Amino acid sequence: MELDGKIIGIISNDFKEEELSGKKVKDIITKKTDEALKMVKLDSSIKEELFDNLSSRDKGKVILASHLHEKEIKLVNFSKGMIKKDLEYFNNLFKRIISYGRKIILIDKNTELFLNCVDHIYIIENNTIIYETKNIFDAILTKYIDLPKIVEFILASKENGIRLDYYVEIDELLKAIYRIKS
Amino acid sequence: MNINENRNYVILSNCINNELLDKFKDYPIINNMNYLDLKSKLEFFSSKRIVFNETFYYLKNNEKKEILDLLNKQNIKYIIITSNVEEVLYGEYLIVYDYDKIAVEGLTKEVLKEEKILKKLGFGLPFIVDLSIQLEFYECLDKVYFDVDSLVGELWN
Repeated sequence: MELDGKIIGIISNDFKEEELSGKKVKDIITKKTDEALKMVKLDSSIKEELFDNLSSRDKGKVILASHLHEKEIKLVNFSKGMIKKDLEYFNNLFKRIISYGRKIILIDKNTELFLNCVDHIYIIENNTIIYETKNIFDAILTKYIDLPKIVEFILASKENGIRLDYYVEIDELLKAIYRIKS
Repeated sequence: MNINENRNYVILSNCINNELLDKFKDYPIINNMNYLDLKSKLEFFSSKRIVFNETFYYLKNNEKKEILDLLNKQNIKYIIITSNVEEVLYGEYLIVYDYDKIAVEGLTKEVLKEEKILKKLGFGLPFIVDLSIQLEFYECLDKVYFDVDSLVGELWN
């Protein structure tokens, strides 16, 4: 399946999370282990840990670290266990990675990860693309997924007759609301 | 951990691992399960409390609400374990873990006033709460809202 974009967001249940049970971190990240761990904000002391004993947050980071050298990085449910601060960090890291000519495919349940990050979004069912868009503010997406909260708010405002620009930062949205209300 | 049998809890954690789950081993724990399987499991559920270990990650908002409605109808109390601050609004009582330590706990609406702690730990605040706190500061609102529809209704009507 040919997908356009450099950072691609996919909504689908067709893809399985990687099965790494029983392996140690050092056996999962086999290339430039220390550098890769540093890049995903993990301490190198984690190398001896068994994957099963990691938190879900660290599992996602370890999987990313293991794929960093690949031309096309595919991550399934990467955002599971992540906190807001992580999403901001990895959003920036993904942009840095693609600047080296790589491609990132994020198959994820949490569209907050896609905000201000992905350039294409695909809805895939039974290995078939059933919808694609470049715009996370595309209201048709609500048929398939929950959109990021800021997008939900802007679309709900639009339904109430208030047309706001497509802000992705709360501070910009706040200023816009203040301008309208004052 | 003391669990009040009449309350629904959310555990917000930046380290959801086996040690955290061990604290809830007295209750049935649901992990990754799709909506239909979960719904049919809960229709014949005998326990009076259930623990969702990141289960909500796999569900859409309308599915989460339907599952919680189903539990309420059966008088089954729940504990939602999550890293997603947006999900704290599903419980009455919130316990925030910073790795293996409780950072703050209390009634959800009270804990959400601890904006500095939640932001310092990297969880942030639920978007609607964050936005309405700031709009309240700028005197565009006179209280904090907890859902999009109420906030949009108040702001634009």
